[in-house]
Amino acid sequence: MKRSRGGLLLTLVLIWLVVYPLALVFVASVRGEAGWTLEHVRAFVTQPQEWNALWGSLWISLASVVLAGVIGVPLAFVFERLEFPGRRLLGALVALPVVMPPLVGVIAFLFLYGESGIVPRVIGVVLGLDRSPWRLHGAGAILLVHAYSMYVYFYLFSRAGLARLDESMVEAAASLGASRWKTLRRVTVPLLRPQIAAAALLTFMTSLGSFSAPYIFGGGFRVMTTQIVNTKLLEHEELAMVQTVSLAVVAFIGLWLLQRTRGTRSVAVMSKGQPPKAQVIRRPLARWTAAGLGWALAAVLLLPHATLILVSLVPLGSWTTQIFPPAYTVGNYVALLSEPERLRPLVNSLWMAAVATAGVILLSLWAGRLVVQRKVRLAKTIELLTNVPWAVPGTVLAIALATMFSVHAPAVGRVILVGTVVILPLAYLVRNVPIAAGSVLAGFRQLDPSLDEAAVSLGAGRVRTLVRITVPLLRPAIFAGAALAFVTALGDFVTSILLYTFDTRPISIEILSLLRQPDIGSAAAYGVVLMLISAGAMAIGIRFFR
Amino acid sequence: MEGWKEWKDRMRVSAGSEYRSILLPFHLSILFAAAVSCSDGRTPLVVYSPHGRDLLLLAERTFETLYPDVDLRWLDMGSQDVLDRVRSERVNPQADVWFGGPSSLFQRAAEDSLLVPYRPSWAALTHERGHGPNDLYFAAYETPAVIAYNSDALSDSDAPRDWEDVLDPRWRGELVIRDPIASGTMRAIFGMVVQRSLRATGDTAAGFRWLRRLDAQTREYVFNPAMLHQKLIRREGVLTLWDLPDILVERSKGQPFGFRLPTSGTPVIQDGIALIRGGRTPEVAKRFIEWVGSPEGQLLAAREVFRLPVRLDLPHDSLPDWVSTVRAALVVEPMDWELLGREGAGWMTYWDRHVRGRGARQ
Repeated sequence: MKRSRGGLLLTLVLIWLVVYPLALVFVASVRGEAGWTLEHVRAFVTQPQEWNALWGSLWISLASVVLAGVIGVPLAFVFERLEFPGRRLLGALVALPVVMPPLVGVIAFLFLYGESGIVPRVIGVVLGLDRSPWRLHGAGAILLVHAYSMYVYFYLFSRAGLARLDESMVEAAASLGASRWKTLRRVTVPLLRPQIAAAALLTFMTSLGSFSAPYIFGGGFRVMTTQIVNTKLLEHEELAMVQTVSLAVVAFIGLWLLQRTRGTRSVAVMSKGQPPKAQVIRRPLARWTAAGLGWALAAVLLLPHATLILVSLVPLGSWTTQIFPPAYTVGNYVALLSEPERLRPLVNSLWMAAVATAGVILLSLWAGRLVVQRKVRLAKTIELLTNVPWAVPGTVLAIALATMFSVHAPAVGRVILVGTVVILPLAYLVRNVPIAAGSVLAGFRQLDPSLDEAAVSLGAGRVRTLVRITVPLLRPAIFAGAALAFVTALGDFVTSILLYTFDTRPISIEILSLLRQPDIGSAAAYGVVLMLISAGAMAIGIRFFR
Repeated sequence: MEGWKEWKDRMRVSAGSEYRSILLPFHLSILFAAAVSCSDGRTPLVVYSPHGRDLLLLAERTFETLYPDVDLRWLDMGSQDVLDRVRSERVNPQADVWFGGPSSLFQRAAEDSLLVPYRPSWAALTHERGHGPNDLYFAAYETPAVIAYNSDALSDSDAPRDWEDVLDPRWRGELVIRDPIASGTMRAIFGMVVQRSLRATGDTAAGFRWLRRLDAQTREYVFNPAMLHQKLIRREGVLTLWDLPDILVERSKGQPFGFRLPTSGTPVIQDGIALIRGGRTPEVAKRFIEWVGSPEGQLLAAREVFRLPVRLDLPHDSLPDWVSTVRAALVVEPMDWELLGREGAGWMTYWDRHVRGRGARQ
């Protein structure tokens, strides 16, 4: 343990950016015009609707975790452990739901599975039905979208865990007479626990803060994120603050519970053995069946993307009662590229995501150096603080930052940033601290400290060591974290809607504006562009990560 | 492809270039930030508006041609969002003009001292009903609420003629409407129902009973205009309550929409415009307000994007035909907009808690 001015400074920076804004929201919820009051809290707890909304948020999030896990983890085993034709390509395609753009991505579901969507209409024609066999709304619809877009976390995390797994442990279990099932249950799954817990946490927080799906499908079904927006629209500012706090409290309880189940982290990193090789399926019939199933699965998973592309090619309002669009056009894309006003949001999003990503990576490197390499006294606190934004749904974070930075009081660390170009990139940065820091800290932990020491003993300065030794070795971790952070910032909707200005109007707000028009084709075209850029960024990240 | 490989190899080999690659996003971002902060020397005029891209783009192009030294920057959002934003930016106002939204919302802003009085020269040529107190805001267009329907699915003679007809058992589950909490038009219609009940019985209960029956007819409350539009043309429902300009715009784009002006009277939203307190360029903002109410501005909006002019002095022969048709059939509901501004949020809260989703259970 070393005393360090750097450690103290970083702790203060993180408290200022992460804890302080949340504390202000908490204070706002128990403060009225005449001083401290519990009136709004009382208004909250006595309203059954508020409890309904909170309960709705909670059980939807828990169910999303279960569903996403049930889809994601087995998929990871299939793609990491079985060898069949097309495995590599399919393995990448299966991760694509992560680049589904906000709002229009959800609307694509409506065109696919909704009451007047492609699938119900096909079923209707086949079975001779008059009306759609189902309606896509309420909790079921929200869960469908969540399971679809969040199983990717389980899939990616479990795959990464399986790839690092030591085969000798599995072999040892087998040689001790354990059956395959028992080995899986007693050895493999426990070893994967940190990854599964991390994915569960991410899924839980993402669905707790999820806005697009309840906004599009909710109808009468209440969750807290849409409830907060409604309360603000009904001008009960203080009640909205109480609701925000209630959501944050649920999130913190979730964080605490999941941290407890995460288990000791060192298990997975302890050994340096070889991961088991993927099992080649030898029997041709089984082989082709597996491949066929894999391709069919990928096709189903890519249907929403395909639907979005389809919608972007439909001339305004021409697709009415037909199963498939009767006419196609590239007009939506032409309009997008020919009107300079429409490209501005794209440029805005790109630079803001780039700034936020660069900033958060630098912050993570600083944290990694202090926590892992120098093991400063405040190391534990710093790591905990980098995790706090996990526990804060995007809506809550945006409200907290908006509250914090709308007052000019430099003496207590508050300046006016609301309405400036700074606030949105800053919000993206704060939101992405856990993703980037998680990745970079894990990278630091896999570094051999002797390399660093060697460089220092050979006379390299601190900066030189960092630039020439540490950063190059950390490249996979940095690129993985940066890619995820960049994509998250690029597609962000919930934080942006509260904080954007004319100069920082991002893609998601442009999509919302097109949906207000209502010009769904152009909105879809914009969504497709966003999807391609995100996929490109992820591909670059994964290339360097492998 | 070769270049890519070479680049990748170089990245692998040389730690120095690694350093550059890490900083690349940083350099890029500085470049972008510089590009963003550079203005072209024109005076920026920031307008918050729920009017939608069609009208706003038109206004931008026309106004900038008229005043080449002005850069009109509009942000398109719901009218309630405008109020929310103007409120939260009180200490550091970002916008100069609030363009569009029902007067009840402008009144809320006026109560919070978020507006500055300005009486445009065209104010005298408009209805008194569109004038805010103390010259704080003025109606720039009139927006009647209508009963709209999918004209491919329904003929004009089949469509409901009045609000009461919407409750006909025939339309049960055929009504798709905007979520009233997020929509100024819907709030005006709901406000009309409650005010009628107040006038007739001195109490709001009858109004909420009526809204409960409406809830039973409603298939879905849609948050987003695009979704409402899609659900109607794809016939998930055939009937909606909407505002006239949107329906006319959609129809002009070839969409299958028809509308009826309710015979017993309909709320005519006084679609306002106002100066925001603390705006940076009040003089340019005043010029914009003058332009919106000028004969050119009014006629352009009426011809291109179907806004009902607020000016009464425009020559008949220069107005498009639809204006006289609508004006002839329009029965204006006597609305107490001040009451709606004061009580509206409370009524909607009650509706949200005790009416939404409960009509069918009766």
